[in-house]
Amino acid sequence: MSADVTAALLEGAAEVALTVALAVPLSAYLVKVMEGRPTAAARVLGPVERGACRLVGADPDDDMGWRRFLMAAVALTVVGVALLFVLLMLQGVLPLNPQGVPGLPADTALNLAVSFATNTDWQPVAGEVALSPLSQALGLAVQNFLSPAVGIAVAFALMRGLTSCGGEVGNCFVDVIRAVLYVLLPLALVLSLVGVAQGIPQTLGGYQAVQLLEPVAVDAQGDMVDADDPTAVGEVDQAVVPVGPQASQVAVKQLGTNGGGFDGANSASALENPTPLTNLLEGVAILLIPLALVLCLGRMASDRRQGRALLAAVLVLLGVALAVIVAAEAAATPQLSQDGAVYVGSGDQSAGNMEGKETRIGVGASAVWTALTTAAASGSTNAALEGLTPIGSLVPLVLMGLGEVVGGGAGTGLCGLVGFAVLTVFIASLMVGRTPEYLGKKIGPAQMRAAVVMVTAPCLVVLAGAAALCLAPGGAAAVGQPGALGFSELLYAAVSAGANNGSSLGGLAADAPLVNYVLAAEMLAGRLIPVAAALALAGGLAAREPAPAGPGTLSTASPLFVFLLLVIIVLVGALTLLPAAALGPVAAAVGGQAL
Amino acid sequence: MKARTILRTTASALALVLAATVLCGVAYPAAVTGVAQALFPWQANGSIIEVDGVAYGSDLVGQPFQDERHLWGRLTDASASLISGEDGQPALWYQSAALSPASDEFAARTAERVAEVRAAHPDQGDRPVPSDLVTASGSGFDPHISPAAAEYQVGRIAAATGYSEDDVRAVIDACTEQPLLGVLGEPRVNVLRVNLMLDGLL
Repeated sequence: MSADVTAALLEGAAEVALTVALAVPLSAYLVKVMEGRPTAAARVLGPVERGACRLVGADPDDDMGWRRFLMAAVALTVVGVALLFVLLMLQGVLPLNPQGVPGLPADTALNLAVSFATNTDWQPVAGEVALSPLSQALGLAVQNFLSPAVGIAVAFALMRGLTSCGGEVGNCFVDVIRAVLYVLLPLALVLSLVGVAQGIPQTLGGYQAVQLLEPVAVDAQGDMVDADDPTAVGEVDQAVVPVGPQASQVAVKQLGTNGGGFDGANSASALENPTPLTNLLEGVAILLIPLALVLCLGRMASDRRQGRALLAAVLVLLGVALAVIVAAEAAATPQLSQDGAVYVGSGDQSAGNMEGKETRIGVGASAVWTALTTAAASGSTNAALEGLTPIGSLVPLVLMGLGEVVGGGAGTGLCGLVGFAVLTVFIASLMVGRTPEYLGKKIGPAQMRAAVVMVTAPCLVVLAGAAALCLAPGGAAAVGQPGALGFSELLYAAVSAGANNGSSLGGLAADAPLVNYVLAAEMLAGRLIPVAAALALAGGLAAREPAPAGPGTLSTASPLFVFLLLVIIVLVGALTLLPAAALGPVAAAVGGQAL
Repeated sequence: MKARTILRTTASALALVLAATVLCGVAYPAAVTGVAQALFPWQANGSIIEVDGVAYGSDLVGQPFQDERHLWGRLTDASASLISGEDGQPALWYQSAALSPASDEFAARTAERVAEVRAAHPDQGDRPVPSDLVTASGSGFDPHISPAAAEYQVGRIAAATGYSEDDVRAVIDACTEQPLLGVLGEPRVNVLRVNLMLDGLL
C-alpha cells in the first residue's frame, strides 16, 4: 500500500473516530431532551418550547399512538412541500431577490420542494443561479431543519416502541419542536460561526461584482472560448461572487443529513468549504447525528451494548467503503496519465485522480468525504462525482443502495438499521427454533411484515425509478455520455433519489420535466413508505409487554449477531444492486480500463 | 380515521411549519448574519480582494487565466449565461468541467490539454505535466493550484514578464499555504493572488 493511500485512510479513520467521540455525549443529551428530562438547555429554552407547543396545539403528555404519529409526520411533509412549491413558483415577484431570478417552472419547483421536504436535497438546478436568497432562507433552510427533525421524531417513536412498557410512542409535534430547538439550532449556530471565521460568506446583501484580471472571450451563447476562436462574439470583463446566507445554510445542510448546498457546486465550492478545517468539521457534522441516534437506542434500552453492536456493524461497512474508494481514487486512470505525459504521483501535489477534486482538499480527503456523505443520507459533496473512477463511483452507489443503513439520514438511518436487526433476529431465531424477540419484545407476524417493508421498500423504489428513467421517452436522452457510463448516471440518479441522498453524478441533464417527476415520486416513496413501516413496527412493539431475557434468548449485542446482521445487509444490498451495477460502473471499469 | 382528526393534525402541521419559518428561516440566519458581520465582516462578505477601490475577485473564487504572463489554474466551464452582473451586464460564473476519467471524451481532452501546456512551456521539455494543470476542479472555480503545477510554470512566467525565476518563485511562495498542522489538507497556491502580485497590484 502506498504512503498516500495509508495517509488518506488514517485521515478517514481519525475523522470517523472524532465523529464517534462526539456522538457519545450527544446521544446522552439527545435522549434527555427528547424524553423531556431536565437539562441546562431546557432551563434556558423551555419557555420557547412551551410557547411553540401551545401555538401548534401539541401537548407532551398527549401520546399520539402510531397512526396519529404517522399522520402528523405525513402532514408535516405535505405542508412543507406545498409551501415550498408555492414559494419557488412565486420567487420572481417576491422580495429579497436582488438578482431578479424568475419563478421556477412547475416540474422543477415540485422536484425541489419534495427533495428538501424529504431530506433528500437532490438539486435539479444550481442554487446560486436559479434561486433567490428569500427562497434559500425561508424555503430550503427551513426544510433543512424540519426534515431531519421529523426523522429524529420517527426514530424516537421507534425506540420508545422497542423499549417502553406502557405502549407509548410519543408526540410527533413535540418531538420535532424539541429536535429543532435543543439539537439542530444550537449545533448549527456554532458550526455556522466557525464557518464564517474560516471564510464562508454570511450576508443578506446582493452578489458582489468583481473585475476580471483577464477579460474573457465568449461565443453567442455566452460560453467562454479561446480569444482566437472564430465563434467568439464579445468579451466579458466582470465576474460575480455569489454571496448570501451561506454559512447558516451550510451548517444545517451538514448537520441534518440534508446535503443541499447554497451553491450548485456544494462543498466543493470554496465559498461553502474554504479550508481543510471546514472540510474536517463539515465531514464530522455529516455523520454526527446519525451515529448519535444509533447510540441512543442502547441508552433508551438501558443496555448500551445494544447501541454499540449496531454501531459496530455501521463502522465495519463504512471502513470497507473507505478502503475501496480511497484505493480506487489514489490510482489515476490510463486516460489521465497519458502514458506518463501527466504527472500523477505525490510531491508538492495530491497523487492520483485529481479530476473533479479541489486542490486544497486533495484526492484522499475527497474520497473519504464521498464515502461519508453516501453512508449518511446526506448527499453533500466536496468533489464533482462525475470525476470519480468507475470503481470509485461504485462505492457511493453501493452505500446508497444498501438503503439508509450505514448511518443513513437523521432518524431514518436508525430505522433502517433496526429493520435489518429485526430481520436478522427473525432468521437467526428460525434457525435455532426459538420465538424471535428484540430488546425483550416478541416479534409477531405484523411486526415482521413491517420490518420486511422497511428493508425491501427502498430497494424496490430505487429499481422501479431506474427502470422508469430508462424506459420513459426522453429518459435516455438526458444522460451526458453514451453506453455504460451513461447508464451509470441514470442508475446513480435513481438510487440517490430513492435513498433520499441527493448527490448526483453530474453529466445527467437533471432539470428535464420527466426526470424531475420520476425522481420526485421516488423521493416521496423512498421517504414515506419506510417511515410508515417504522411507525407500524413501533406501534406493534409498544403494545407488547417486555419479557425478561432467559437463558435461551438470542443475544443481540454479541459479535456473532453483528456478523449475522452484516451478512443480511450485504445480501439484500447485493441482490438489489449487483445486476444493475454490472451494467453500469462495473462494465465501465472492465471495458474502459482494459489495457 | 375521523376527518376532524385529519383537519386538526394538518392545522397543527401548518402552524409548526410557519413557526419554524420564523425561527429557522428568519431569526436564525439573521442572528448568524448579525454576529458574522460584526466579528468577521471581510469573510462574511465574500473575502473580496480590493485594491484602490477596485474589487479584483474573491480569495475563494478562481478566475480563468490564459495570458503567458500569468499563473494558470485548473480547467473550468465558464459562461456568462448563468448569472447576470451589476446593472444586468454579462458576468462570468462557473460550472465544474469534470468528466468521467475513464471516458474517451476525457482522454481526448487531456491529450489536447497536455499538448497545449507543453507548447506553452518549451523550457520544461518532456517533463510530465502536473495533474492539476490538465484536470477540472470539483467546483469549476478552484482558487488554487498545487505547488508542483506552479513550479512547472515558473520559467514561462519569468520569460514573459522579465522577472527572474527567483522573483517569480518568491511571489508563488508568498501565496502558498501549507497543510494545517502539517497534516490537514494539501499545500496550495492561490492563483489570483499570484497574478495580482505579478501585475504589481498587490
